[in-house]
Amino acid sequence: MVELEGIKKVYSLGKVQVEALKGVSLKIDKGEYVAIVGPSGSGKSTLMNIIGLLDRPTAGSYKLNGVEVSTLSDDQLAYLRNRQIGFVFQSFNLLHRLNALANVELPMLYAKIPSRERRERALKALEIVGLSDRIYHKPNELSGGQQQRVAIARAIVMNPSFLLADEPTGNLDTASSIEIMKIFHQLNEAGTTIIMVTHEQDIANHAKRIVRLRDGLIVEDSLVSNRITY
Amino acid sequence: MYIWEAFKVAIESILSNKLRTFLTMLGIIIGIASVITIVSLGAGGQKAILGEFEKIGVNVFSIKMRNDVDIREGDRLTLRDVEMIRKRLPSVKYAAPVAEKMGLAKTEKYTKRALFIGTDFDYGNISSLKVIHGRFLNEKDILLGRNVILIDKDSAIELFGYEDCVGKSIKIGTYYYFDTAKIIGVIDSGNLKSLGGSIADQIPIIAAIPITYAQKIFPDINISQIYVMTYDQSQLEEASSQAVRLIESLHHNKDKYKTENLISFLEEFNRILGIFTTVIGAIAGISLLVGGIGIMNIMLVSVTERTKEIGIRKAVGARRKDIMIQFLIESVTISLIGGAIGILLGYLLANIVGPFIDIKPIISINAILIAFFFSTAVGIFFGIYPAQKAAKLDPIVALRYE
Ligand SMILES: Nc1ncnc2c1ncn2[C@@H]1O[C@H](COP(=O)(O)OP(=O)(O)O)[C@@H](O)[C@H]1O
Ligand SMILES: [Mg+2]
Repeated sequence: MVELEGIKKVYSLGKVQVEALKGVSLKIDKGEYVAIVGPSGSGKSTLMNIIGLLDRPTAGSYKLNGVEVSTLSDDQLAYLRNRQIGFVFQSFNLLHRLNALANVELPMLYAKIPSRERRERALKALEIVGLSDRIYHKPNELSGGQQQRVAIARAIVMNPSFLLADEPTGNLDTASSIEIMKIFHQLNEAGTTIIMVTHEQDIANHAKRIVRLRDGLIVEDSLVSNRITY
Repeated sequence: MYIWEAFKVAIESILSNKLRTFLTMLGIIIGIASVITIVSLGAGGQKAILGEFEKIGVNVFSIKMRNDVDIREGDRLTLRDVEMIRKRLPSVKYAAPVAEKMGLAKTEKYTKRALFIGTDFDYGNISSLKVIHGRFLNEKDILLGRNVILIDKDSAIELFGYEDCVGKSIKIGTYYYFDTAKIIGVIDSGNLKSLGGSIADQIPIIAAIPITYAQKIFPDINISQIYVMTYDQSQLEEASSQAVRLIESLHHNKDKYKTENLISFLEEFNRILGIFTTVIGAIAGISLLVGGIGIMNIMLVSVTERTKEIGIRKAVGARRKDIMIQFLIESVTISLIGGAIGILLGYLLANIVGPFIDIKPIISINAILIAFFFSTAVGIFFGIYPAQKAAKLDPIVALRYE
């Protein structure tokens, strides 16, 4: 469970202070599928990075599964990122020198999982995203949609409580985007909590709930009535 | 498990920047090569000297005429001096004269150049040379000036076709005068040749004859030195000065004699080796320092180039320690490969330089361990700062880096 209370984030650019989040309170339960929408610069990515423990808020309280994370050390955050959170980025963020399989194995390396189990689980995750026939391909030998599927496999391989995706279809064509949305749908059906940032209404409509940001504040929080499912 | 994965990443990174990495390694290579060269030549030199110990023994010294003073006829070493050293000095166990003469040895078939060593029965005890057939000189040979001779094994085979030529006769002398001597023994070649000094290598025959017989057939021969063996090594210095004083009193002169022993020779060698070690050690130290700075530099570049990668690794759960280890392993791998190349190069250099200074280099496990130790130490020491820099990167800052 994600519980945000009065989250603020201020960026200092020399003398200028940019308040990217101005006090966000948000609660997301297990099994939810939330789309965070809003215009560019409204603070969506900032919020996602905080939820994903990649960044720390300037003020406010954040409880992840009941644990207040603002007091945790860098290494404790790394541990939680490894076990509780899977992150999918707009630009995929795969390691170029590694093939698909090795990329998916990466989080398990840091979880000290033995190599045989690593391989088995990575193969399983790649099967879920439909890439069993591309496991030895390097990122530059894969299409954008395929790279994003590798990234999803990497994000789910540790069975995290939360799958976070920041504009996961932002760099993809429509067909690939639909593929990704189908995978998200399946994962959510199977119990994974998904939080996804997007500025496309079509994509947002795959979620069960939409949170709208504007200028660092939540301006709307509603359930999706005409949800797209598969 | 993780170490191995980190090692694979390091190798890949090195392979994708071969030239850059090699240039970085140069300092390490030169440093380690110098260390290996000096250590293996030093070990070879020490072993050669210790080998001399085994042949002559540590409790042996020799008395010689000083070569920087005028020598009059009455100053020359005599058999009486040897006799007196034996009788008067209680710490002396054996004493033997040595007089050398270049000449010829003839059989019916061959004429060969020979180095004759005129000496007496104690020489066998002092030099621990091996008589492999027959016997060494005895008291009676000396007393009577018998025409007997021992030759070395290789020469025996050359002259007679077989080793055991005891009982055969051989003509010895200079170009115009020859005398017939009876072979009473055959000596192991290695031993005697080393005693003959450096000229021995070019001389086919090495022969030991009674000093008294030598004086008969080579009237101009002089005793060049007296070998003296004490009961114990601790008596060496004391006995040396006593012997010199004794001979001075017998000849009524002063400051005409000097003594030498292998300990002082080894000390001299170690002193020179020490100077070389210091000089080359300094070169090695500077090279390793430069090499280390090179590694630090290349690792800082690598950290910057791979900032995004670090961000990705952190995003999926890498802790500071994991990133730190990854970059440390990379710097250590670079310096270890440099070290390995340095060891090979040092081995090559030692074998090229060795023959010029008459030393057979010894590459010991120790030298290799030292080299690997230094390489690892340099890799860790100069890799820590870049690795720490990588480990401390903020995940979100690193991820945004393009
Ligand atoms: N690292 C940063 N340094 C300074 N300002 C930033 C930084 N990241 C984001 N911002 C600012 O914070 C605001 C919110 O940015 P962001 O969260 O990326 O918005 P979105 O993802 O909704 O487009 C913007 O005004 C942006 O310029
Ligand atoms: Mg954004």
